Amino acid sequence: MPEGPRRGSEARPEPLEVNGRVLESLPNALFKVELETEKRQTITAHVAGSSSLLRILPGEAVVVELMAYDPRRGRIVRRRS
Amino acid sequence: MISKSWAELQKMHRACTIVVETLEALAQAALAGTTTKELDTISRERILRAGAKPAFLGYRGYPATLCISVNDEVVHGIPGKRKLVEGDLVSLDLGCIVDGFYGDAARTVGVGKVSAEAQRLMKATEESLHAGIAQCHPSKRVGDIGAAVQQVAEGYGYSVVREFVGHGIGTSLHEDPQVPNYGPPGRRERLVPGMCLAIEPMVNVGGPDVRVLDDGWTAVTVDRSLSAHFELSLAITRHGPWILSEPYPYGASKEAEAAVHA
Repeated sequence: MPEGPRRGSEARPEPLEVNGRVLESLPNALFKVELETEKRQTITAHVAGSSSLLRILPGEAVVVELMAYDPRRGRIVRRRS
Repeated sequence: MISKSWAELQKMHRACTIVVETLEALAQAALAGTTTKELDTISRERILRAGAKPAFLGYRGYPATLCISVNDEVVHGIPGKRKLVEGDLVSLDLGCIVDGFYGDAARTVGVGKVSAEAQRLMKATEESLHAGIAQCHPSKRVGDIGAAVQQVAEGYGYSVVREFVGHGIGTSLHEDPQVPNYGPPGRRERLVPGMCLAIEPMVNVGGPDVRVLDDGWTAVTVDRSLSAHFELSLAITRHGPWILSEPYPYGASKEAEAAVHA
């Protein structure tokens, strides 16, 4: 029986998109983001892709992607405006 | 990849022998009017009677003992109510477990008289398998196998399936390394004595592309062209390949023991 395609991509959980607001700009292009969920969690997020999202300022509204692997980390996907 | 001992190779030899003998019986039984389910039943009974266990049944949820892939079906066809008809090209893929060790083999047969194209395809596929096996000497690499298979199959003007690959075999059905049936020679893992591989070219008359049907298993050619599949499991020894469904080909067993471990 031949081995089929590795099914890694099927097993990976889908990222969850959540609205957030940037609280603080940290070193290494990281940001502290407060999630606009019921619990108002604060997470550390890096930017997806590059450059244009780097100039995010505290107070800006963004969308972050969360993964099940580490709920206190996220990636900023885009601005919200 | 885990290198196998001489004693372990004996178990794999037993498993592979049961598989190939069962395939021979199935080839005889694959007559017009037979349902694919009936062939599955024959294979399960024979394997159990030989004191082995079916390897595919329950593997990742696969529901049968045998994979039976007719005409444009490439691999992983699930046995069912389908009746074979004269002229069908039928790929039979079977595996069993003896004392925890797996044997895996496949062959393609015609039902009654098949077209000249189907015969040429079977010849090309089996020839490409043996071209791959001929590469199985220590210090060669896995890429040499795929390159040899591809060269023969494409030399006939056919194409080689990319989405499914051969594999290492031993205490599970699929072990490292993967053994593609294509690609440049001289690449990938080095072959060492004690390594066991299942080499299995899947060759299409038309293009190489395949897709999997909604049952989650059956792979068919996208252009609906005929496809054939031959497979053997072998061990790498110091002297070269040992096709595990055949007797050890390099002399007495004392010497053979040394041959594996050198």
